[in-house]
Amino acid sequence: MTDISDTGASRQPIDRSRLIFWGVAALTTVLVAGPIVPIVIQAFLDKPLYDTSADFTLGNFTRLASEPGMGRVFFNTLYFGLLTMVLAQVFGAVMAVLVGRTNLPGRSWMGEIFIWPLFVSNLVIAFGWFTMYGPSGFMTLAAKTYLGGAPWNLYTVTGMGIVAGLSQAPLTYLMCLAAVTKADPQLEDAARSAGAGPFRALWSVTIPMIRPAVIYSAVLNFVVGIEMLAIPLLFGGPSGIQTVTTFLYDKGINAAVRPEYGIVGAAAILLLILVALLVWLQGYLMQASGRFVTVRGKASRPSILDLGKWRWPAFAFVFAFVFFTILSVFGGIFMRSAVTFLTPLIPFWKVLTTANFDLVFASSTYTRSIVNSVVVATVGAAIGTFFICVIALVARRSEFRFRRPLEYVALFPRSLPGIIAGLGFFYAVIWLPGADMIRGTIFVLIIAFMVRYIPVGFGAIAPALAQIGEELDRGSRISGADWWTTVTRIIMPILKPALFSCYALLFIHFFKEYVTAAFLYQPGSEIIGTTMLQLVAQGDNGPVSALATIQVIITALFVIIARRLLGAKIYG
Amino acid sequence: MADLVLENLTIKYGGVTAVENLNIHVASGEFLTLLGPSGCGKSTSLFAVAGLNHATSGIIRVGDKVLFDGDPRNTVPPERRNIGLVFQSYALWPHKSVADNLAFPLILRKMGKSERDARIKEALGLVEMLPYADRFPFELSGGQQQRVALARALVYRPPLLLLDEPLSNLDAKLRERARVWLRELQERLNVTTIYVTHDQAEALAVSDRIAVMSMGRMRQLGSPRDIYERPADSFVADFIGSSNFLDAKLVQNGADAARVRLVDGTEITTAPGRAAKDGSLVVAVRPERIEVVSEMGPNCLRVTVDQKVYLGSVWQYVVRSGAMEFRIQTTWEIDDPSVIVRIPPEHCAVFAEKFAGN
Repeated sequence: MTDISDTGASRQPIDRSRLIFWGVAALTTVLVAGPIVPIVIQAFLDKPLYDTSADFTLGNFTRLASEPGMGRVFFNTLYFGLLTMVLAQVFGAVMAVLVGRTNLPGRSWMGEIFIWPLFVSNLVIAFGWFTMYGPSGFMTLAAKTYLGGAPWNLYTVTGMGIVAGLSQAPLTYLMCLAAVTKADPQLEDAARSAGAGPFRALWSVTIPMIRPAVIYSAVLNFVVGIEMLAIPLLFGGPSGIQTVTTFLYDKGINAAVRPEYGIVGAAAILLLILVALLVWLQGYLMQASGRFVTVRGKASRPSILDLGKWRWPAFAFVFAFVFFTILSVFGGIFMRSAVTFLTPLIPFWKVLTTANFDLVFASSTYTRSIVNSVVVATVGAAIGTFFICVIALVARRSEFRFRRPLEYVALFPRSLPGIIAGLGFFYAVIWLPGADMIRGTIFVLIIAFMVRYIPVGFGAIAPALAQIGEELDRGSRISGADWWTTVTRIIMPILKPALFSCYALLFIHFFKEYVTAAFLYQPGSEIIGTTMLQLVAQGDNGPVSALATIQVIITALFVIIARRLLGAKIYG
Repeated sequence: MADLVLENLTIKYGGVTAVENLNIHVASGEFLTLLGPSGCGKSTSLFAVAGLNHATSGIIRVGDKVLFDGDPRNTVPPERRNIGLVFQSYALWPHKSVADNLAFPLILRKMGKSERDARIKEALGLVEMLPYADRFPFELSGGQQQRVALARALVYRPPLLLLDEPLSNLDAKLRERARVWLRELQERLNVTTIYVTHDQAEALAVSDRIAVMSMGRMRQLGSPRDIYERPADSFVADFIGSSNFLDAKLVQNGADAARVRLVDGTEITTAPGRAAKDGSLVVAVRPERIEVVSEMGPNCLRVTVDQKVYLGSVWQYVVRSGAMEFRIQTTWEIDDPSVIVRIPPEHCAVFAEKFAGN
């Protein structure tokens, strides 16, 4: 049966696998460096980037430092970020333990509601909070009327931090939930047989093991707080409170007469360095997390703790959180979209109207922004999934010499705040010869979003890839397939569920994105988020709530379809 | 058909040498086993032949095709080596049916559909899996998956077949049957085969020759009988089967035999061998080769029975003479507290050093 003349698979004239390695590495590097390089250069130039007579200077940094109120802006940013983080961590972790490990009444449906906020942008959430808890919000007026006064004022840095913290709690919840439910129950059983009571076992064994999740999400939430635009814009704007992001936004966009490129570049670099340091810190803190790894092969159900007489008080606490920070926020948006004027003082049905939606559907700009959003999310997520998949395959499953550096570059956008990605691509498109073609089109939005969310997609694909034994690749190679045939014919088909999940995650992120687009869109390429941002600035709350409602509905439909039809895993 | 030549094959990872100066010539149609404890470099060597590991230096040649010439930049990639490989985990592609698993290498070789089908049928027939062609891997038992993996490695008729512990995931009974069947199939196809295992019984049963490896080096290359009867060093004597190692001093060394003194003072005749500079040596003798006799004579000593273990087919004892302790084995039960044993000279191997253990 053996026959030496039966040679191996036919030779490729050029080694296409190598070509793909280098191509992907080059493209990734260009895309990731694309928004950063122009900002860095701009920060050291005394004139706009495109001005050929511009000279090198350090003046931008000295100007930034001498700008009145600049210290205040940085202090606000850090305080806001810190408050966001602390509140999100405390509430998120407590909710995760209560929902994940106790016999809390209604834990399954409340657990489901907890993740709703993750599907929509913080612009929508901020608008919901504004509608309900703003100075003339529904809840504020109700409290004033029936309780004789509303004790909250959200138009302060502390108020903003509370809003951001409570609305970021779901992120912490999600990460801690995975940790508490996947912890090996045998470890707790061991504590029980060593003499610990059930609460003691939970407290001493399981809670410490969610530390990596808490640390990871803490830094993540701090970063989210620092780079958040919506809440500082909506709540800080009216009372003149600025954070670095609103400073960049105002200077970069609103100062249309004379955009101060230099000073914006300098501030952007400081923000970039701060966030990069935090992401590095996150990685550093996570280094020793191996000793907390408890997820082992054997699947078993975590044991459920009996809260006893604390069941109903705990329920009241969790339900209050769900009701006031999630249900009423979403409810506020929906209600506002259906009335002319939202107030607890006039019965709801007397002010019912379809005018907000009529206005949206009658305007070609508004409808175009909806269509654009859908196109960007649908097409962009597909392109992004393919691109990220190839990056992951080269980084994790190839003999490419620079596969480790490629992964670092691909994951760098974790440190790239959306507002800086937007600003950077805005510069890059003006600056790079030939790039002007895509200026103001939805292509530049797709590219910018894709770069920003490479780490998100990578996170969905890499763990699934690690589950596929390397001998499957090896079996294919020895059978005569080269690298590219192996990954396309063997690995990608097996990876299909993870690719669907990646697509779904990217779709949701692209669909809700607004910060990155703020500098990049032009008439014709507006998306829902940018249109809302514009309308909010004008105080047109009717159409904003209608657009927000439409965005929530489309997202909900997509999530249902993606889960049912594609079996995509989106947030558990 | 083709032979396989490994010349001075060395594989290093960073500062660690996994395989050092391996020299083996596997004749065409031969069944050669790489045997050794885990971490000895046997799988590393096998994967280097497949091209899935990168060798550092040396030569790998199959027939007249040089796969590796000592220059790491010139290695032939695995897909152009035309070698069959069966993995320990079988590595059947879970999204393809049995027939599609076999079809994939043939499609890569641009084979027409009708010829492909004939080849798949032939290969599945060889491993008696024809009725399962449309099943998916998860619908098969471990033994069936192992057969399909073998069929997939053979379907493109490679001149060289590599097997990486292919039977280790099967249960004991099935494993014994599978190895007989595997050897029969290999003889019928006359395909040059390299087999990696840590199971010495398996290696002794199937191989034409065995290469015993330890810590990246080949310790002995020979027929199963050579390896068992004439171990080249104390490691092989210990790893293959089990041996007593008796400390002794050299009294007189000759061409055909040596005289040594054991620690209890007894002088015995052994096969010739080397002693360390100070004359100390170890005598390796297998428990089942030591005879229980009724009268004292040459190479005999009186021992007391310390421990007795019933192993089903045999009895095993720990016996003692002075400070010297060793094991013997009988098919019948010894009742006496003290017996006379004879250590046959022809079954004594003499080594300068005792195997230090892994």
